Amino acid sequence: MSISSGTEDGSHGGTRLNFYRRQQILSYSLILPAALGVLTLILYPLYQVVDISLREGRVMNFARIHDLPLGFGNYVRVLTDPQFWNSVLVSVIYVGGSIAISYAIGLGIALLLNERLPGNRILRTIVLIPWAVPGIVLGIMFLWILDSSYGVFNAMLRDLGILSADFPWFVDRRTALISVMVPTIWKSYPMITLTVLAALQSIPRELYEAANVDGATHIQKFRFITWAGIRGPSMLVLMISALGIFRDVDIVFGTTGGGPAHATETMSLYVYREAFNYFRMGTATAVGTVMIIVALMIGAIFTIFAQRSKFK
Amino acid sequence: MTLGRFISWAILVLVAIVTLFPFYWMVMTAIMPTDAILSRNPSLLPDLSRVSFAAFAEVFRARPFLSWTINSLIVSLGSSAISLVLATLAGYSLSRFASRPQQALGASLLISKLIPATLILIPLFIIYNNIGLFDTYIGLILANMTVGIPLATWLMKGFFDRIPRELEQAAMIDGATQLQALRIVILPLTKPGLAASGVYLILTSWSEFIFARTLISSPAKQVLTVGMQSFVGEQSVDWQLLMAAGTLSVVPAIILFVLLEPFLVSGMTKGALSAS
Repeated sequence: MSISSGTEDGSHGGTRLNFYRRQQILSYSLILPAALGVLTLILYPLYQVVDISLREGRVMNFARIHDLPLGFGNYVRVLTDPQFWNSVLVSVIYVGGSIAISYAIGLGIALLLNERLPGNRILRTIVLIPWAVPGIVLGIMFLWILDSSYGVFNAMLRDLGILSADFPWFVDRRTALISVMVPTIWKSYPMITLTVLAALQSIPRELYEAANVDGATHIQKFRFITWAGIRGPSMLVLMISALGIFRDVDIVFGTTGGGPAHATETMSLYVYREAFNYFRMGTATAVGTVMIIVALMIGAIFTIFAQRSKFK
Repeated sequence: MTLGRFISWAILVLVAIVTLFPFYWMVMTAIMPTDAILSRNPSLLPDLSRVSFAAFAEVFRARPFLSWTINSLIVSLGSSAISLVLATLAGYSLSRFASRPQQALGASLLISKLIPATLILIPLFIIYNNIGLFDTYIGLILANMTVGIPLATWLMKGFFDRIPRELEQAAMIDGATQLQALRIVILPLTKPGLAASGVYLILTSWSEFIFARTLISSPAKQVLTVGMQSFVGEQSVDWQLLMAAGTLSVVPAIILFVLLEPFLVSGMTKGALSAS
C-alpha cells in the first residue's frame, strides 16, 4: 500500500492512498455486521460453553453461574455416565447409518437423473421436496405412517402377509433407532442427489468417448471418470449432511423424543435434556464441548479426503 | 426408448412415488373421514364422495393455529430479511477484497456451522435471561440469524464472484462510489443469487424448532413448528387434526420451494461445487 511518497505528483498520490484506505475501510465495514453478529452470537457463547463446563456445583440463579469454582468434575461425571456412552453409540449408528444409506440412494438417483430421461426436470423437483419440509413435520408424518394400530405401513405389511400382528416401530427398542433413521434419510438424500448430479453434469462427455475408443469397461469408466469427477463434491456434501444429522434434534424430537429407554437418545438430545429438562448446565456443556471436538474431527476427515481427491 | 432407459425411468418414477407418499398420506388423512382412516385396512385411494375439508377449519378452531402462523411469519421473515442484507454485504466483501483478516472472518463464519444448536442454546438461554431477550421475537430472530448467515454469505460470495469487477469499476470511473456501484450495477445482476439465498433463509427459519421451543415460553408467541410438536406426546393424538395442521404448515414452504427451485438449485450447487 506504499504508493504515495515515491510519485512526483504528491497530491495525486495522496488521493490514491485515500482511495485504497477507503477501500480497505469499506471492505471491513461490509463484512463486520455479519461477522460481529455471528461472532457475538456463536463464538462468545462458545467461550461461555467451555467456561460453564469447567464450573462445578449448582446455582439456581444463572447470572451467578460464573461464580462457581473451577474444576473438571463435570467431565468426570459425564465420562463415567453410562447414559453418555449410550448417546455416543446411538449417535454413531444414527449418523453413520443415515449418511451411508442417504448417499447410496442419492448417488443412484443422481446417476439415473443424469441420463436425461423424459420428465427429468419435474422428477428432480419432486425428489428435492423433502428437503424443504421442517424436520418436526416430517417426524410427525412418519409417526403416523408407522403408527402401531392405525399406521398405513403396518396395514400394508399385514395385507402382504409379512406381518401377522401390529408392530410398534417407534416403541420397540429393536426398531426405534432404524425408524428414526427413515425420516432422516428421507430428508438428507435430496441434497446429496443434487450435488452429485451437478458434479456428474460437469464431467466432460469427451472423456467417456475417449474411454470408449480405448475399450474401457463400465466399471473402469465409473471408477476413473465418474467417481473421479464426483468424489470431491461428494465428500463436501457428505460432511455437511453428516454434521447436520449429528447436530439436529428435530426429527428425534418429533418422533420418539429419545425413547424408548434412551434407545434413540443422540448426543445432541442428551445435551438438550441435561440442560433444559434437568437444568444441569455444567454436564450439558461438558458433553457439548466433546461434541464440538467430534464435529471438528468429522470436518477434518472429510476435508482431508476431499483435498486428496483434488491431487489425484 | 431402449429397455435400459425405460427401466431407469421406471425406477425414478417409483422413487418419486415413494418420496411423495408421506405427503399424499398426510393430505388423505386430513380430508377423509376418521372411520375411513382409523381402520385396520385403510384404503389407499380416496373415496371422492366422502372428501371433507372440515379438519382444516377445525385446526383453526381447536388450536391457536393462526397465531402460530403469524408468529412463524414474523420470526422467519424478520430473520431472513436482516440475514439477507448482512450476508449480501459480507458476501460482496469476501468476493471483492481478499485480505488475510478478511479470509479469516469468512472462514470463522463457516466454522460456526460446526457448533450444535442445542449447545449454542445454553449460553444464549443464560444471556437472554440476564439481558431480557428471553421470550421475545427479537431474541429468537437473532438466534435464527446465526443459523442462516454463514451459508448465505458464501452463497452470495459465489454469485458475486461470477460478476466481472470491470462492471463496477466502470461505474466508479463514472463517479459512483463503490456502494453506489454495488447498489445500481451489481445487485440487479445478482437477483438469482438474492432469490436463492432468500429462499434458503426463509426455509431454514420456517423449519427451525429447537431455538423456538427453548427461547420462547409464552404460548401466545409460540411458532408453528413448536405448536405442531405440542400435538404429539399427549395421551391420544387426533391424527386427522394433526395431519391437517401438518399439511397447512408445509404448503407455504413447498410453494416457495417449487416456484424458486431453479434459482435455489443452481445457486446451491454452484456454491457447493466451487467450494469443493
